[in-house]
Amino acid sequence: MAIEIHTLPEHMPNDALRYVGKPVNRVEDPALVSGTVQFIDNLSLPGMLHCAILRSPHPHARIVSVDVSAALAAEGVVAVISGEDVKRWCVPGFTAPEGWGNYCMAVDKVRFVGEPVAAVAATSRYLAEDALELLHIEYETLTPVCNPEQAMAPDAPVVFEERGTNVMLHRDYTWGEVDRVFAEADHIISRRFRWNRVGANPTETFGCICQWDLADNSLTCHGAYQTPRFMAIGRAASLQLPANRVRIVTHPQGGGFGGKGGPRGTDIAALLSRKSNGRPVKYIEDRMEYLLAGGGQSWDRYYDAALAVKADGTVTGFRVHLVDDQGAGAEGYGTISAAKPLAAFTGNYRIEAASYDLTLVATNRAPTYPYRGYGPPPHNLVLESLMDCTARELGMDPAELRRQNFIRPEQFPYTVPSGNEYDSGNYEAVLDRVLEIADYPALRARQAAARAEGRLVGIGVVGTVEPGVFDWNAYATVGVPGVGVPEGVKVGLDVFGNVSVAVGFSLQGQGQFTVAAQVVADYLGVDMAQVKISTASSDVALPHFGQGGSRLGVAVTGAILGACEKLNAMFCKVVAHVMQAPEESIVLRNGRLYRVDAPEHGMSLAEIAGLMLSRSDLLPPGVEPCPEATYVWTSPNRNAPDDQGRCRSYLTAANATHVALVEIDRDTGRTHILDYCIVDDCGTRLNPANVEGQLQGGVAQGVGAALYEEYVYNDECQPLVSTFVDYLMPTIHEVPMTRKDHIVTPSPVSPLGAKGCGEGAMHTTPATILCAINDALAPLGKEMLETPASPHRLWKLLHEDQATSA
Amino acid sequence: MKPAPFDYHAPATLDEAVALLTRLEDEGCDMKIIAGGQSLMPMLALRVARPEALVDLRRLDTLNYIRDDAGTLAIGAMTSKQAAADSALVKRAQPLFHAATELVGHRQIRNRGSVGGSFAHADPASEYPAVALVLDTEFEAVGPDGARTIPADEFFVTYMTTSLETTEVLTAVRFAPFAPQRRWAIQEFARRNGDLALAGVALTLNVDGGLCRDVRIAAFGVEATAVRLTAAEQLLEGQPAQAAQFEQAGKAGAAQLDDPMSCIHASSAYRRHLIGVLTTRALGEAAARTH
Amino acid sequence: MSSKQRIEVRVNGTRYVREVEARLTLADFLRHELSLGGTHVGCEHGICGACTVLINDQSARSCLTLAVQADDCDITTVENLRNPETGALHPIQQSFVDAHGLQCGFCTPGFMMTTLELLRENPDPSDEQIKEALGGNLCRCTGYQSIMDSVRLAAQRMKSSTLG
Repeated sequence: MAIEIHTLPEHMPNDALRYVGKPVNRVEDPALVSGTVQFIDNLSLPGMLHCAILRSPHPHARIVSVDVSAALAAEGVVAVISGEDVKRWCVPGFTAPEGWGNYCMAVDKVRFVGEPVAAVAATSRYLAEDALELLHIEYETLTPVCNPEQAMAPDAPVVFEERGTNVMLHRDYTWGEVDRVFAEADHIISRRFRWNRVGANPTETFGCICQWDLADNSLTCHGAYQTPRFMAIGRAASLQLPANRVRIVTHPQGGGFGGKGGPRGTDIAALLSRKSNGRPVKYIEDRMEYLLAGGGQSWDRYYDAALAVKADGTVTGFRVHLVDDQGAGAEGYGTISAAKPLAAFTGNYRIEAASYDLTLVATNRAPTYPYRGYGPPPHNLVLESLMDCTARELGMDPAELRRQNFIRPEQFPYTVPSGNEYDSGNYEAVLDRVLEIADYPALRARQAAARAEGRLVGIGVVGTVEPGVFDWNAYATVGVPGVGVPEGVKVGLDVFGNVSVAVGFSLQGQGQFTVAAQVVADYLGVDMAQVKISTASSDVALPHFGQGGSRLGVAVTGAILGACEKLNAMFCKVVAHVMQAPEESIVLRNGRLYRVDAPEHGMSLAEIAGLMLSRSDLLPPGVEPCPEATYVWTSPNRNAPDDQGRCRSYLTAANATHVALVEIDRDTGRTHILDYCIVDDCGTRLNPANVEGQLQGGVAQGVGAALYEEYVYNDECQPLVSTFVDYLMPTIHEVPMTRKDHIVTPSPVSPLGAKGCGEGAMHTTPATILCAINDALAPLGKEMLETPASPHRLWKLLHEDQATSA
Repeated sequence: MKPAPFDYHAPATLDEAVALLTRLEDEGCDMKIIAGGQSLMPMLALRVARPEALVDLRRLDTLNYIRDDAGTLAIGAMTSKQAAADSALVKRAQPLFHAATELVGHRQIRNRGSVGGSFAHADPASEYPAVALVLDTEFEAVGPDGARTIPADEFFVTYMTTSLETTEVLTAVRFAPFAPQRRWAIQEFARRNGDLALAGVALTLNVDGGLCRDVRIAAFGVEATAVRLTAAEQLLEGQPAQAAQFEQAGKAGAAQLDDPMSCIHASSAYRRHLIGVLTTRALGEAAARTH
Repeated sequence: MSSKQRIEVRVNGTRYVREVEARLTLADFLRHELSLGGTHVGCEHGICGACTVLINDQSARSCLTLAVQADDCDITTVENLRNPETGALHPIQQSFVDAHGLQCGFCTPGFMMTTLELLRENPDPSDEQIKEALGGNLCRCTGYQSIMDSVRLAAQRMKSSTLG
């Protein structure tokens, strides 16, 4: 039976929707504000030990010897593991591209500062950390590879000897007649950009408790896991266990933003449990570990890019040359982050041809990991900065240049040169509205007045497309085998008419439990208070992926709708049988099943569930006594990529335009954000308050990336950022309180017309701020093409003439 | 990030504390005094400080006071910064010290952090040592040989080092009366609100018939300890309290710095530049201050 | 070398007498010795503010306080906010829920304890005063705008409840 997933809220069998589309309170919040949610460090198991990890102080060194004897003899210590154990029991973790991976712990040499070298399980974390000081590791230091230039030099030291090179991957995509459009261009606008490393830094670091059942040879891992099923498969592979012997119990997480999951930490805690005769071992990554090596570093990029532009401002071509410093291995699936821009390579624009030359390089920096946006934030910064450079060169208003090049509403569905299909949009309406709420002419007047006083005031107007709901095909082109992204739920009713929903993921902050409750309550016509959402462990959960790729709100909605459709059909059959009426005459509407021709004859959901569970004699043939249904949703209509990576990858294309007004203090180089406006279009807003939270949170992280945050390494590849004194996330003082509005263009292809909206503000904010900064600098003929645009960097730029003369 | 083990003592009286410190010193123990602990605790957690013993002053209630001693403001070393920030007496008697206190960290830090602790910790990025240098500040300490008074210019030695003996306890800070006509300002530059300053300037001066008199300027966050910008002070003495002079003074102050610190947020040259900017701006703020 | 110390603390009105290692932080003591897991730990070096509790009614970072330093003190944690009889949320908690002042919720206890101190001292804070009070608490999810809204709403509700 084909299940039809409704693409508009009004298609649901309910006359008046009570929840969908409304900013209802979140079901997860009462427990969160009460402090009773079981984040992983709140869980203790009987006999539990605590893990501490010794980490490499060297970026590149051979391990000569490891002496664990003193640590093993220390107070409270039960087990110690080092590379020898790992070599015996594990294989290197999965990577993308393949074959650029490390074991969970260094086995012969260390490749970055912070790489685990040995680990201790003791009766307290305090004692475990004491024991680390008794481990004796002898190293023979090797010359580190500090950056891509060094990595690609002839005779460079090699990070992974067996590969013989530091180049992990080189791909050259050509979409359309790039050479021709550049040859025919009236202007070629090119720049080089440097995006320095930033990262997720959720307030809760990773943590887990692993227990190895030595009799059953199985492993249970409780922890802060973003993608439980994926994590289970990965652990089975690296720990050499059958996949059905690894059980992941994911807990609510104190934020994710990409790298939440800790494969290394999990493997290490699991091995310590194995070595401790099966006692549970807790590992809580501390902030210093996180900052050095915890999967929180992303996007270390060097861009050389150009636009081909006609005299009238029509942009015809976009060339991007990217060198991406992946750090010491591809365990964070960096390929995907480099490939994701394919989904919206040319942004909001009708650019006819494009090319992308990408090189991923291994160095002795920490391996990079996913972070919110997964690649497009730097890419969009490049494209949008070039749009602004074009406007300046042509003497055009940057907003009007963009408008002129927009994909027009009637052109949807629109296939971009890099292959993805945008489902819908109305970019001009978004732009018009944001210029209106920002009062753009007034901003320009304010800028002119400030400039007349010699002040550096600038405006950024930046629009981007947010590819939402990723799918397996997006990354196959860069050597990542199918990363399946099903999302499964089970919806069931009890005899009182309460609804239980089991999902495969846990809380992370985006509010998907609430979305699930809203959708199921409105479909079945029950009160949200009657709905309970819970997380199934990976061994019993339906196929699922969890958070990632701006998809879970849409995906869980699709899964709920699918399961509800199945329940609906089954209930109609049951009611028809009981009422001895034709099945077609029974409908579900407003929480009740009844005969369309005689609405007074019907049954409540509780009555149906009760009947199904207790009166097998009344069930129609073939219907089981089970008022439950499962559904595993995945995006419809996906296809395999061609040789240039083109495919329908992301299902939805949300978009937004941001307007920022900034002022740079000439004397100190500090940038002040004076005003910030956003208009976005993510289709149906299932819970507008959730959407707004995603936007504003993305702005905060975007401000961090544009102005504050950076993982700094010195010339010897030593990380200089290991505390929050060094890594500067914006506080309430630094994040602008934005003014927002929205346009709604429902997706014609997604469940209830909703589009992925978790990453869009992070896609747009860094570019918006940098464009505003460069607009401010324009009268000086200077450009800031590196992030973050810290006060120090801007000061150097503003004073470089004096500095060289001094 | 758990502290290494240490012995712990919480003496009930000042005499007990001094006797304990003396005994531990004699035993060759590497001990550390903890007051509010807001600077020490992170160092313990990171194990960059790993004393064998901590001597906690929390029970010394006699060191928790703010009082007016015949015009001199006396603040007990264990008084919390927030108590100083909330004190009308402090605000009235020592407005510069009060303003500096409000700049320290965030509320949670000020609630726990003691006034004496910050002076004794002598962090180069701290506002307090610079303020002490431009006010007439004295430190009272009690050790095995009894009490002594240390003037501010002899108190701060170098990076996180004061002239306190390891067996001495800082008991109070005393500020000589702040003349009502005296102008003051404190300005600092930090990456984010509440962060440690990358550079800062505290200053006091008189503006007498439009001319600068008795100018005292101290910079913090730039050298191993707070430093008086004597070149700027001398340049301003007797000069008109005007923007052009303030600009010159800023340049002179910046030029005078020996070798400003460097970190990932600010190079030495940038810090030097910031001191010039902040000096000029703080002078302007002070000159414009109406009483 | 590590010395055990006997401490007596009152946490959320309950008296506890415990022997603790001197180096144990107050955060670890509350979380793991007293099983009060609502106080979260985000950085352990005094920057993020997630572990904020009240010590003698004053906000403090429990990672920057040793348990022994809390001897003879009154500690208030997030677990004390809800009405113990009815389970009703405190107006601050309810305002964070109603104004969507949280996403992952990990930093939220710290924000609420800081807000509690603010609103006790200043029932009608300006936006600048709210920012000043909350400047020492990091939130990675919300971008702070809804937190501002939550605190304003809480102030309004607490004022009207005292008036009523």
